[in-house]
Amino acid sequence: LQVEGDVDQRRLVREAQDGSGAAMARLYSLHWRGAYRAAYLVVHDAAAAEDIAQDAFLAAVDALDRFDRRRPFRPWLHRIVVNRALDWARREALRRRVDGAESVFEPLPPPEQTGGELMAALKELPAEQRAVVVLRHLLEYTPGEIARMLELPRGTVNSRLRRGLDRLREAAEAGSLAEERQ
Amino acid sequence: MRDEALSKVLREATIPVTPETEARGLRVVEAAYAEREASERGAPERDDLENRRPLSRLALAFGIAALLAAVLLSPAGAAVRDWVDDVVESPAPKPEPELARIPGGGRLLVQSAVGPWVVQPDGSRRLLGDYEEATWSPRGLFVAVAKGRTLTATEPDGTPHWSLTAAARVRNPRWAPAGERIAYRSGEELRIVAGDGTEDRLLARSTAPVAPTWSPWGDARLAYVSGDGKLRIVNSEAGEGLTGAPALHDISRLEWGAGGTAILEASPRELRLREVRAQKVAPGPALGNPRTLALPGSGISLTGAALAPEREAVAAVVTHWREHGTNSEVLVFPPGADKPRSLLTVPYSLGEVAWAPDGRRLLVAWPGANQWLFLPVGRGKPRAVANISRAFSPGERAASFPRVEGWCCVR
Repeated sequence: LQVEGDVDQRRLVREAQDGSGAAMARLYSLHWRGAYRAAYLVVHDAAAAEDIAQDAFLAAVDALDRFDRRRPFRPWLHRIVVNRALDWARREALRRRVDGAESVFEPLPPPEQTGGELMAALKELPAEQRAVVVLRHLLEYTPGEIARMLELPRGTVNSRLRRGLDRLREAAEAGSLAEERQ
Repeated sequence: MRDEALSKVLREATIPVTPETEARGLRVVEAAYAEREASERGAPERDDLENRRPLSRLALAFGIAALLAAVLLSPAGAAVRDWVDDVVESPAPKPEPELARIPGGGRLLVQSAVGPWVVQPDGSRRLLGDYEEATWSPRGLFVAVAKGRTLTATEPDGTPHWSLTAAARVRNPRWAPAGERIAYRSGEELRIVAGDGTEDRLLARSTAPVAPTWSPWGDARLAYVSGDGKLRIVNSEAGEGLTGAPALHDISRLEWGAGGTAILEASPRELRLREVRAQKVAPGPALGNPRTLALPGSGISLTGAALAPEREAVAAVVTHWREHGTNSEVLVFPPGADKPRSLLTVPYSLGEVAWAPDGRRLLVAWPGANQWLFLPVGRGKPRAVANISRAFSPGERAASFPRVEGWCCVR
């Protein structure tokens, strides 16, 4: 998902800062899908994922003048997306504990999914593990970069990643076994 | 399972997304960007104000809320939380999870992305249909709704009575207090139609993109802003102009209220009242000199304003744009006062404000917190209701924050 070189993105940020709506739209089109997918894979709620992706871009607009042009845009955006998704997931978990019930409006059932067992297993992971798995294996950041984005010790990132991957591996193997039995 | 296999699944897993999902976000981001540009380069064009400001205001509210929420709730936010605590106060009440009743009673008309809803006093709600705008009839017996070039009158349960198709897009329908006429804008024209859908006719060829407002006295007088920027009052039956005066620059809201004695004009930066008084000799009303209502501080935007139904009190919502954070304030100007009383200050941007029909409470939208605030103007306990977006967009993937179109009819 490395959509364009850093140089091109710095140029787009500079042009957006200088008033180019086209550059802002281009940044959006380059990054929205990745942001939305990352948010969805952490929160597993389409409406929330859309809000989170949108919020991240609005934050980008709001902070455009203060944005350091020497920094790459993509990790800055993803940092907002994943932290926001984590906040949402934590609030949702808290709300469920407090309310003791699901929302009165059930989320839409997801369509048939590629990698069904794995996606189901991902959904069952704690949000903190989902976030590092998504950052590492969807957005392809290194553990060191993830540690900086989430303000966590690198060891914590590695342990969350390891525990998450172990559980995903178990789910994938169970799925394979079930297919073999059929 | 290899890492590459997991990456492939994460990249290719089917997730619920449509091109419209992406396009919706782009529209909001473009609007926010346009507002940023406009604020940097000076005042926006009037068309921009009408077409973009409500959306971009919402967008900015979400954006700033998101940014602050992301910063404050994440571990990285610990260091900045202190200064936020220093610069904003948050006396907002603890929110209830859903609207179980409307404080003070009455019914709400709420426009969401999926259409207008009627909310009953017990909080139950009904979607009227796929319409873009809605307005109550005077006693809440009907609702006028608009979509594209079509104006429709429906029962509050959504049963349509009649429809008409105009030559251009229908905007800003407003039902006259006596119930016999509906004024609306179609393209640049101002038109009126009888309450039964007959006698549709032209009243003015050129209007500014501001909703017209009827005299609360129940007569035929209608105030609007003409295309040349004048506040005009006409006799809608005779089609004759009665009086006029220059309207506020960049006016975005016009409201005739306070028992018919005053007209409120609001722009993103300014708020003023004009007295309306009967003339001893001429048949029409006379407009007094405008009285500017002082908004506190500099670097602010007026995001909502409303004139009380029976008194000359004005409620206003302002956003303070500060270098290190944004907060919003709900203000009330008591009758005759040029300076306001502050009711509430909260972080992030607030949205529109509406008076309860009895003038005792305000409903203030708080998109950044996804809440409605019900604030007593005198004694009473403020209430907050959470999860507003989702309540009015069930099943929608993009639960945008709805707009309160009217609070009707305490009986």
